[in-house]
Amino acid sequence: MPPGAAPTPVRPAPTPQPLGAVARRRGPRTELLAPFVLVAPAVLIIVGLRLWPLVLGINFSFTGDGDRNGMPVGLDNYVTLLGDPLFRTALRNVGLLVLLLPVAVAIPGLLATFIYLRTPGHRVYRAVYFFPAVLSPVIVGAIFNLLLAYDGPFNEVLAVVGLGPVDWLGDPDVAIFAVAGVHVWATFGMALVVFLAGFANLDPSLLDAARVDGASLPQSIRHVIVPGLTRTIQFVFVTTMIGLLTSMFGLLFVMTGGGPEASTYLPEYYIWVQQGQFNQPALASAASTALFLIMLLVGLAQIGVLRRAGREG
Amino acid sequence: MAGRRWTRWVVAIPMAALALATVYPLVFTANVAMKTRREYVLDRFSLSDAPRWDNIASAWTSVGMSRYFLNSAVVVTCSVALLLLFGSMAGFALARLRFRGSSALYLGFLAALFIPFQVIMVPLTRVLAGTGLVDTYPGLVLAYVAQFLPFTVFLMTSYYSTVPAEVVDAARIDGNTAFGVYWRIMLPMGVPALISVGVLNALFCWNDVLIALLVMPSAEHRTLMVGVTSLRGQYSDDIPVFASGVLVAAVPVLVVYLFLQRQIADGVSAGATKG
Repeated sequence: MPPGAAPTPVRPAPTPQPLGAVARRRGPRTELLAPFVLVAPAVLIIVGLRLWPLVLGINFSFTGDGDRNGMPVGLDNYVTLLGDPLFRTALRNVGLLVLLLPVAVAIPGLLATFIYLRTPGHRVYRAVYFFPAVLSPVIVGAIFNLLLAYDGPFNEVLAVVGLGPVDWLGDPDVAIFAVAGVHVWATFGMALVVFLAGFANLDPSLLDAARVDGASLPQSIRHVIVPGLTRTIQFVFVTTMIGLLTSMFGLLFVMTGGGPEASTYLPEYYIWVQQGQFNQPALASAASTALFLIMLLVGLAQIGVLRRAGREG
Repeated sequence: MAGRRWTRWVVAIPMAALALATVYPLVFTANVAMKTRREYVLDRFSLSDAPRWDNIASAWTSVGMSRYFLNSAVVVTCSVALLLLFGSMAGFALARLRFRGSSALYLGFLAALFIPFQVIMVPLTRVLAGTGLVDTYPGLVLAYVAQFLPFTVFLMTSYYSTVPAEVVDAARIDGNTAFGVYWRIMLPMGVPALISVGVLNALFCWNDVLIALLVMPSAEHRTLMVGVTSLRGQYSDDIPVFASGVLVAAVPVLVVYLFLQRQIADGVSAGATKG
């Protein structure tokens, strides 16, 4: 939105009013302090309940649990983490999710392209696709618990087509993909809306020119849309990854509880279990710190890769 | 030209199928909620011949959904009110007042945006426990405010940056203090952004389960989403009542979405285009 767009209210010429004079005389000190007073609540809350806990948590991850409560133990917690099969499963699952990431970004990207190109019904699709994104993971998980049950409706439909029943949430090789699929179902509308906002900044004459030159749809996507939306694509990659790493707790909690055979652990679920069930807060803090590092690495790596790809294009 | 129209329709069919796949799970759940247990076991897909509201009624009363619903409503209302107040105050100061360290402070808020809750959940619970705030409404409200404040400050700052500086200057010349400008000019001018950010925050808080589980452990303090998670164990053999509970929890969000779709989408995309 250009700053000049909003009309500037026309004010009468300033006349020295008693009220104004008082305000200005009371001025200097309170006026100098005003900005600080205005930001104070936000700063206090964020420092006290976000930054301070972050420092505490990192510090805490170098202390012990149980008998060694509060004692410095160096890197012991991190060694324990790396040896813990549960945490390893969690890391393996992070790897799987990273591999799924391009799909989770491409689907909303393509759909946004078609909506932008005014596929019949595009107005309705925008609203419909976004709708699961407003539902809580808990509700989504509960609904899919019903649908994906072994004797549930989804398998019933598959049976009609002649496909055998799949134990979506009970088979250790399948469950994590089922949960990730449900997550993508629930959140692709979010990325879609972000893509559409990116399209609003794309110069439509470029696409028209490509069409006049006889470019096919895939060619237009590759040479016009992708380079034109580099920033949006970067943003969606990073936010989708953050979503996969930090907003699947509700689904896991409701759909699998980490099972079957502990195959659907993710770092966030591991932290929750260590803190809540096993009462090992220091170990949980170490896992938190590890998750933070993973997110930093993934974020930086993605930005690096995409930036290089952007330059080549 | 004909070929182009043809491809358009080839795309339109999978898109329609996907739209159906997006809506159907909830329609299915709503239909199940209207069935008797017998009807559900016999045929999952058929429309229930007569809507049975008694499932809804029993989810509402005997499961305690009404209590959970009230808990959620109170916590979400207080959290959103505080978020909008603190967020708009800080946003105005960062966008339109010059003071020492303002840009460093803005970067600090941005950095706080990238600390996921999972990373601080153990120490945060300890900090809250240390101040006696665990298992209290103020504790949960504070946890939500802390969680969503960086995002709120960020969006309010970028919104207030689009308000022309002349507006602020004119109000100052009229004799307003900084607080007067905030209260009389910026707050009313910020309404469109406040609605958008407020609705998003309300959804975030209403839909959360992890923070609520940690900060409000006892049963009578459960929020609605925590209540839904406990439905599964209790009603695993009575699917229609289970579905009713899920439906009751989803309906407020659906109503909000129906009326405020634009504002929600605007809030989501504002985060992307301004970042």
